[in-house]
Amino acid sequence: MEAFAHNFLNINVLIRTHGFLITGLFMTLRLIGFSLILAMAWGLFLSVVRNVHLPGLNTFIVFYVDTLRSLPILVLLMLIYYALPFVGIQVPAFTAAVLALSLNGGAYYAEIFRAGIEAIHRGQTEAARTLGLNYIQTMRHVILPQAIRVVLPPLTTNTLEFIKATAAASVVALPDILRQASQAMNSTFNPTPLTGALVLYLLICLPLVQLIRRFENN
Amino acid sequence: MGNILVEIKDLHKSFGEEEVLKGVDLDVERGEVVCIMGPSGAGKSTFLRCINRLEEPDSGTIKIDGEPITGDNVDLNKMRTEIGMVFQQFNLFPHMNALSNITLALKKVKNMSKAEADKKGLENLEKVGLKYKAESKPDQLSGGQKQRVAMARALAMDPKLMLFDEPTSALDPELIEEVVKVMLDLAEMGMTMIAVTHEISFAKGGSDRVCLLDQGNMLEQAPTEKFFNDPEHDRTREFLSMVLD
Ligand SMILES: Nc1ncnc2c1ncn2[C@@H]1O[C@H](COP(=O)(O)OP(=O)(O)OP(=O)(O)O)[C@@H](O)[C@H]1O
Ligand SMILES: [Mg+2]
Repeated sequence: MEAFAHNFLNINVLIRTHGFLITGLFMTLRLIGFSLILAMAWGLFLSVVRNVHLPGLNTFIVFYVDTLRSLPILVLLMLIYYALPFVGIQVPAFTAAVLALSLNGGAYYAEIFRAGIEAIHRGQTEAARTLGLNYIQTMRHVILPQAIRVVLPPLTTNTLEFIKATAAASVVALPDILRQASQAMNSTFNPTPLTGALVLYLLICLPLVQLIRRFENN
Repeated sequence: MGNILVEIKDLHKSFGEEEVLKGVDLDVERGEVVCIMGPSGAGKSTFLRCINRLEEPDSGTIKIDGEPITGDNVDLNKMRTEIGMVFQQFNLFPHMNALSNITLALKKVKNMSKAEADKKGLENLEKVGLKYKAESKPDQLSGGQKQRVAMARALAMDPKLMLFDEPTSALDPELIEEVVKVMLDLAEMGMTMIAVTHEISFAKGGSDRVCLLDQGNMLEQAPTEKFFNDPEHDRTREFLSMVLD
């Protein structure tokens, strides 16, 4: 018990390394902020374009969505970060992580938004178009506000998975929570910083999990 | 052109193998009210939906006020602001209150300020007797009230022509009268209307002419009196005997 406390709940180590962890927290939050907004916007864009039903374009979107959903995020991230330099494209770690997360997350969000759009009765679009609203206005003011409400539960679940997936960024040496914690562990020869990382992830994710539970109970 | 507002010639429309409209003609004068009746599947909705191009006709011409609205270089959104449409299922926007349902297009399509749009919206709600429901969401309204808001929404755009697709068919019998009354008021005020309806009280009380659409053909067109009392075709008599009792 004492050994466990010394290794995982070591207050002295935590005090010495908390600066590391805080830096990591801010990096993770920044990563979540950028990539979540981009992923949702990209997914929304794909689903709205797909709903126009242009045959060639739809085939492409389906191909894109299926391919990206089949690729582990780690593989995609390492491809962008380590492979692109061979063709002369150097991408900084943060950009690589945002890119990988957005491309991958966008595919998932596209499917969710598409399901929402398709759940809205055709009469809504017809009524809006009949009033002279164009396609974009119809989407923006009539269809999407209803569609997003319909898919709020899967949207939240997906966002939770998305946030957890940001920990993958540590493999390209981005100083996020996980990376900073393992650095701190290596320099103190004590794994307590990992406990700190665990607590930080819980703080970020537990409220979302609670929200999902509330959806499930309704 | 003078008095003709709607001029439809030889309209054809197929869905796959099925020819739903087989060359339909119809002229409607300014201020005229035309009812279209016919059995289920005759193509009544399809015909109406071709007039504002919710369905794309295969061939034929439609002119509104002498302007062709078929073909590629028509500004669909502008054309549609001039043609109001009322649906069987109301199709109110459920996430907006009654007033916002009306003001959305006023603001986004007619570029009115919020104040102008609200004023116009309330005026039109008053016309259908529902000003006091301006803040209510659709799910707080009865079917008849929903349909009246839907009419106010269409009317607020100041259309030249109103299309109705069975506006009372989804309503409980006791709610039909309030909707018919608004339609009769509109007819009285000189609105040009094409209404698909089997509501005899409206057809007899409000329409100038009744048409029977049967299997994609405009079988009979006659002044209201004549249509009900002395139609040309046996098929019309048969249809009427089915509808009237
Ligand atoms: N979008 C569509 N795709 C395929 N077939 C369609 C479509 N819309 C209508 N039809 C078919 O066209 C025919 C005419 O339909 P329409 O809705 O115009 O009839 P209607 O006279 O309005 O009938 P009702 O009184 O039942 O409303 C029907 O056989 C219908 O199944
Ligand atoms: Mg119909």
